[in-house]
Amino acid sequence: MNIRKTIPFLACAAIAAFIFSPVALGADLTDVGFIDQAAIGALPQFQQANQQVAQYKSQLDSQFASQMKSAHSNADRQRIAGAFQQRFLNKQREVLGPLFGRAQAAIAQVSSSQHLAVIVDKRIVVYGGVDITKNVADLVNGPGAVVPPTATPPPADVGFVDQSQIDQVPKIKQANDNFLKYAGDQRAQALKQMQAAKNNPQQQQSIFQSYQKNLSSQQDKMLKPLVDQTRDAMGKVAQQKHLILVVDRSDVIYGGTDITSDVQNALK
Amino acid sequence: MRSSKLALLTLAALAIAGCAHQPRPDDPNVRGIGYVRVDEVLKKHPLYSHLSQLQDAIDALGLKSLGPSAVPRTQAQIAQQTRELNRELLQAQGRANAILHQKQQDYQQREQAAIRAAVAASGAGTNGTQPVQQMQNVSAQQAQQVTLQANADFQAYQRGVIAQDNAAVQQLQQQLNARVDQAYRQRATQLQEQESQLSLELSQQDASRRLDLRMKLNNLAMADAQRKQYRDQLASIDQQEAAVVDARRKSDQQTLQAYLNQLRTQTQKQLATQAQKIHEQTRAKLAERRNEVSQQVASQMQGLQPAAIPSNLPAATRDKLAQIDKQYKSQFQADAQKTIQQYQQTKTDLDAQYASLQGADGAASGAAGKQLSDLQRQRDDLYNKMVEQIKRDAGQVAAKRGLQVVFMNIEAAGGGIDLTNDVEKDIESLHQ
Repeated sequence: MNIRKTIPFLACAAIAAFIFSPVALGADLTDVGFIDQAAIGALPQFQQANQQVAQYKSQLDSQFASQMKSAHSNADRQRIAGAFQQRFLNKQREVLGPLFGRAQAAIAQVSSSQHLAVIVDKRIVVYGGVDITKNVADLVNGPGAVVPPTATPPPADVGFVDQSQIDQVPKIKQANDNFLKYAGDQRAQALKQMQAAKNNPQQQQSIFQSYQKNLSSQQDKMLKPLVDQTRDAMGKVAQQKHLILVVDRSDVIYGGTDITSDVQNALK
Repeated sequence: MRSSKLALLTLAALAIAGCAHQPRPDDPNVRGIGYVRVDEVLKKHPLYSHLSQLQDAIDALGLKSLGPSAVPRTQAQIAQQTRELNRELLQAQGRANAILHQKQQDYQQREQAAIRAAVAASGAGTNGTQPVQQMQNVSAQQAQQVTLQANADFQAYQRGVIAQDNAAVQQLQQQLNARVDQAYRQRATQLQEQESQLSLELSQQDASRRLDLRMKLNNLAMADAQRKQYRDQLASIDQQEAAVVDARRKSDQQTLQAYLNQLRTQTQKQLATQAQKIHEQTRAKLAERRNEVSQQVASQMQGLQPAAIPSNLPAATRDKLAQIDKQYKSQFQADAQKTIQQYQQTKTDLDAQYASLQGADGAASGAAGKQLSDLQRQRDDLYNKMVEQIKRDAGQVAAKRGLQVVFMNIEAAGGGIDLTNDVEKDIESLHQ
């Protein structure tokens, strides 16, 4: 074999492998875990607890209906509804609270033992990550108390925001309220027109299309700039905090970095 | 040797260029993490237009269902409201009859008192009882007038009822046509969904072959003949899939046409049966009204009786009695007319409510709610299938790119690798 020809060939092969097989370059481990919340919710103890809450609710419903009949004013109705809502929440907390606590402790323990920095909902993971559903289910089902780790989770690459709090930033809230009012007016108008054209499906279709177009156009005008601004703010805060991604708070089960207040400040 | 150096330099340049455009998975700003914006990829999916159609149909139904008159009531609610309307109608009839009866008695007594007073004042040698008695004989002419008026009223009623009958048949026809249209569209959507599913399955079956061919085509250093061969193979896969889907589509069109014919035949039969029932109801209504009119005529006759003035009275007294008779008769008729108008107004309102209820009945039997939930289910199924396909594709891309974890539905990115474009291209090419 001609060694002078062989060396460039091997170099080419190495570079080709470098280009076309990047799999080998990735880190072996990830500190992102995920859990299938539906599977945890389907565990027998959760199902029993849910049934118990549902039974309690049906009892409350009949009592609620009978008390509402004797209500004389809207204030009475509101007071009764509030009281029943509170009773239901108390029962829910009483029955499901300990189970949620146990599941949360199990998640923390598994995360710690597997050196995971953040646990997210399975639904947002497209590929990779560590599935801890079974480990958590085993701990929840197991005997004795589940002891959560004393250490807090390590810093994660994933941050999160509470979108409901971001929506309370005055200018965003104002824009949302304005849009909701506009949408309500448009809907009422479209409805009136559609009722007037009830014997003309083609005209109804045209009214509906015009309604959708108006709504979409106004959404772009009133909300899109703020959505873009919020996304930019989140991206900048993420970079400052060395976070790779930002997800919604509801998708994070454990760990992660909360950047909600930073984003709120950036938007003010 | 020169060619080897050239190849080496080219590959190195490519590698550097590639690295310059796309960060590596172990880049500090990536750390093995990628993401895909599924909502954007969905818009490029071949089935996106179908998904949008379903969503539009759901939104349109949702908007319609916000209207108070379009909310489908349950059969029990309709029955309850019909009973209430019947009760109101009976009460209105009872009230009107009682008032008319009372007025009739009042006017009769007042007229008799006035006649007695007039006869006594004239000094005709009687206390007035006899003339009153005589005047209570029915005048044939008056009876004829009353009958003529009653007949005119009945004919007006008959015209109204027949117009209602025609409107009901027309409305029925519209409802049945709407049902045919709805059933046809549901079947069409179902078949379209199956076609989409077939298309999806075929593309999934061929996905690995297609991906393999595309990867091969990405190789820049390939002979033209070889490239053509791969392209032909890709085109062949596309053609085979298209042929299968086209065959299914043609077959579905035939099925749909047969289904439409069947629906139309059924509708004609239903229309004939229902129209017959409506006509029977109309005839029954007219018969009932005829009885009602007869009773009214009889009642009015009684009220109109004191008209024949005894001829043995002095002329001045007879004139006076005729004047009294005319005065009270016209007062009673005017007063009674008001009561009858009030009753007619109430009846018209109730008729409108009946008609509205019948419309709601049609809407309820049309099962708009079921249609909405069916559409929602179809939309969710399709959406989930499309998202699953996107996730699978994103997973393949992620594996090739050496990523450790890939997210979807993120709020923002401070780093990581955005796979959206790559996945979009793959998804788009599925049906090219």
